[in-house]
Amino acid sequence: MILKNELPAGILSALGLTTNDEIYYSVPYDITASGLYQKDAWLVVTKDRLVAYENGAVKKEYDICGLLDVKSENGVSCGVLYVVPKVTGEAEVVVRFSAHHLARFAYVARGCRLLISGSDERVKSEEYEKICPKCGRALPGTRECPHCAKKQKGLSSEIIDLARPYKLQFAGILVLMLLSSLVTILHPEVQKYLVDNILTDPNGTFGAAGLCLILMFAISMASAVINVLKNYSCSKLGTIVSTDLRQKLYGKIQTLSLSFIDERKPGDLMNRVLRDTMRVSDFMAGPFCNLFTVLIILISVVVYMLVLDWKLALLSFVFIPVSIGIAVFFRHNIHRRFHMQRKKEDKINSNLRDVLSGMSVVKSYGKEYDESVRFNEAADSYALTQRRNETFFAILFPIMQFLMGVGVYMITFFGGKSILHGEKTIGELMQFVSYTTMMYSYFGWLSNLPRHLMNLVTSVERISDVMNQEPRIADSAKAVKHRVQGDVEFKDVTFGYKTYEPVLEHVDLKVRQGEMIGLVGASGTGKSTMINLIMHLYDVNDGEILIDGINIKDIKTADYHSQIGVVLQETFLFSGTILNNIKFAKRDATVEEVIRAAKMANAHDFILKTPDGYNTYVGEKGHNLSGGERQRIAIARAILNDPRILILDEATASLDTESEYLIQTALQRLTDGKTTFAIAHRLSTLKNADRLVVIDGHRIAEVGTHNELMEKKGIYYGLVTAQLEMQGTKTDDTEARDA
Amino acid sequence: MEEKEFDLEQMEKETEEMLRINMLTPENAKFTRTAGGFVSLETGGEKYPRVQVVRMFPFTDPGHFISIRTTEERSKEIGIIEDMSSLDADTRKMLEEQLNLRYFTPVITKIINVKDEYGYAYFDVMTDRGECRFTIHMGGSDVVHLTETRIIISDLDENRFEIPDVTKLSATERKKIDLFL
Repeated sequence: MILKNELPAGILSALGLTTNDEIYYSVPYDITASGLYQKDAWLVVTKDRLVAYENGAVKKEYDICGLLDVKSENGVSCGVLYVVPKVTGEAEVVVRFSAHHLARFAYVARGCRLLISGSDERVKSEEYEKICPKCGRALPGTRECPHCAKKQKGLSSEIIDLARPYKLQFAGILVLMLLSSLVTILHPEVQKYLVDNILTDPNGTFGAAGLCLILMFAISMASAVINVLKNYSCSKLGTIVSTDLRQKLYGKIQTLSLSFIDERKPGDLMNRVLRDTMRVSDFMAGPFCNLFTVLIILISVVVYMLVLDWKLALLSFVFIPVSIGIAVFFRHNIHRRFHMQRKKEDKINSNLRDVLSGMSVVKSYGKEYDESVRFNEAADSYALTQRRNETFFAILFPIMQFLMGVGVYMITFFGGKSILHGEKTIGELMQFVSYTTMMYSYFGWLSNLPRHLMNLVTSVERISDVMNQEPRIADSAKAVKHRVQGDVEFKDVTFGYKTYEPVLEHVDLKVRQGEMIGLVGASGTGKSTMINLIMHLYDVNDGEILIDGINIKDIKTADYHSQIGVVLQETFLFSGTILNNIKFAKRDATVEEVIRAAKMANAHDFILKTPDGYNTYVGEKGHNLSGGERQRIAIARAILNDPRILILDEATASLDTESEYLIQTALQRLTDGKTTFAIAHRLSTLKNADRLVVIDGHRIAEVGTHNELMEKKGIYYGLVTAQLEMQGTKTDDTEARDA
Repeated sequence: MEEKEFDLEQMEKETEEMLRINMLTPENAKFTRTAGGFVSLETGGEKYPRVQVVRMFPFTDPGHFISIRTTEERSKEIGIIEDMSSLDADTRKMLEEQLNLRYFTPVITKIINVKDEYGYAYFDVMTDRGECRFTIHMGGSDVVHLTETRIIISDLDENRFEIPDVTKLSATERKKIDLFL
């Protein structure tokens, strides 16, 4: 996202600035104070000033050092940037902007806060623009605009690079294309010979006519064979190319950082792997397959017609725009109609999905009748659209064909006249008419090409956008394998999923090997984020995390991950057997190891209750497991490879008290000597923790043992007493005794 | 709660407060414009230097049931104004300014042009806030029907545009947005 735009000439001098370098941020804003759209309004931030410039004049100006705070506040599809000057201490509106600039101003506000704090760091945004700043078109989730990239050498070379490994196949297809166009052109030529030299010639014999027919038949056969071969090799090549691409893309996506994946909608990457690669193969099998054939035929046909009879040829050319126009109109109309039909279909689908998945609610509220009325309405409206479309095709298609044929009628009329005058033979006219029909249909086909090309270009752009992404957490050159002991240290760590929204700020924490740390705090305060950082799923924005004194970035990621065990809040089981799910962390685990892990997770007994034991199929369409059962499998998975660091994010939240107690005891034996980080809302879960870390307001608020924190009577004390109260002040509870 | 012992009474009081519907009237609430362009409130012996003004039913009843809230992240309701028109002119204007600051949904008055290209539709429209161009996804659910005739269009940036009554558009304008209705 662009945070420093090129300012229109004149503003610089109006602001008393000499060079562009002084500017930290310059972003446009598009709403006036009274809520009307406006242009030429800029917010400019330098090291010591914040200026709103509007309608050729400075509208508001602040000294950075005179400000307490700068904030961007989101409204409903708009936002305001306000400042808090030191003098008044009261929030003051600076500029307003539409949702188009929301994220931009959030970054700028963060940048201003940095400047206020005395840092001269410039905030950068990795987010992509949604609209191409050059051409104003929507970007399909990529950094570069497929339209504007065309002008650079990038994209075409991208496509050529795609094709490079398949040179031989391409050459073969090219030969087939040449042959195919040759036989297509040859056919009317032989036909002319048959008519002129045999059928209408007094000397023509039956045998010669038969020979000619056999020749024509042979040409047709050859044409069919060549086309089958051509289509076959094109589809085959298309499939190979797209499979290759798909595998490369998938491999690439796995190396990318989670933040790249988080920033995209879940379906988006799936579409890139499946649909965009499919489009490439569709292009190969369709437009590309015929492209050269059509071009060769068109050129030779046009030349041939001009040579044969240039006046008649020119007459037929007059109708080319008509045929193209009809093709475009027809296509546009079809597209519109199908789009409408699809929308109506979607409506029925979602209606149906809603009701079917919420059937128990519909039934329990007795709304069956209302729902069926609603469904009938949608179904009727769909049927109406469908019927209209069918009628449209039934009526319009013949009319189209007739219009397309008008050119041919004209040719026949004028050509027929010249036959009567003896200027042309019947065979020549027939050949001419054949070529004219060919020309019209191919020109119509060609008018489709820009759309196909654009589809291809967009897909290639979306694919190469991923392919050219730098893996953000790549092992650095000096990354080493390290046998983890278990010391973990946070050193002044600042991190946010979006850099303008820090989730953790200046976190310092030193954890000794074998310690059990309980992370406590309200939801959304950054507990899970801390754990994500320990797992090295994200890189910190500022500061560093040390494992046994080594920067986490300098440890080989795969090696590091093989030494930590994780049980997350959302227990994710892959489609597969229970055995495979437990063995996910360590593929070569022995049966004993698996059973021990399962027993330790209190999972062994319930697994044997399922019909197929350890071979029971779980996952999306598999055996239904309860939340607690899934969690226990996840725990078994985490402890299987005897991790040095164990991470438990609400690992026992879905369990009943008894199982939790059993697992707690088992885990306690397991966590001996292992560094453990545990998050739990039920504070009793953390009673074995060596130290508790309370996170509040993006920072560590309290650290200490249970007793220390209870004496401190701070946040933790509040949480414990609140939970006790809710349980109904049972004094025989562990916490109460400790308190 | 952090400083004192856990207090059951206190908790009950908070629950009570959470459940209470507190109506603000000209008698019990005094709004004042701040120098910075926001609004402050004095009510029930408390003074709030800045309050948020939020519509409960922005689509169906924008002029009634306005929630007045504190500005912090976990904002709490201070009270509800049932009817904007029951307020005196100055207060109403003040609160409307705040609503105007928070809500920005231009009403489309004229559709100049709509071009669809490669899965996106590019709108060129006149609104009550001035001329505007915006882009929407063709495939998605960017056009929402509030009623049979009233639609809300959301663009790629989640800007919102309203057409209060599509039947009031001219025939040519309707044809341009046919695809989305």
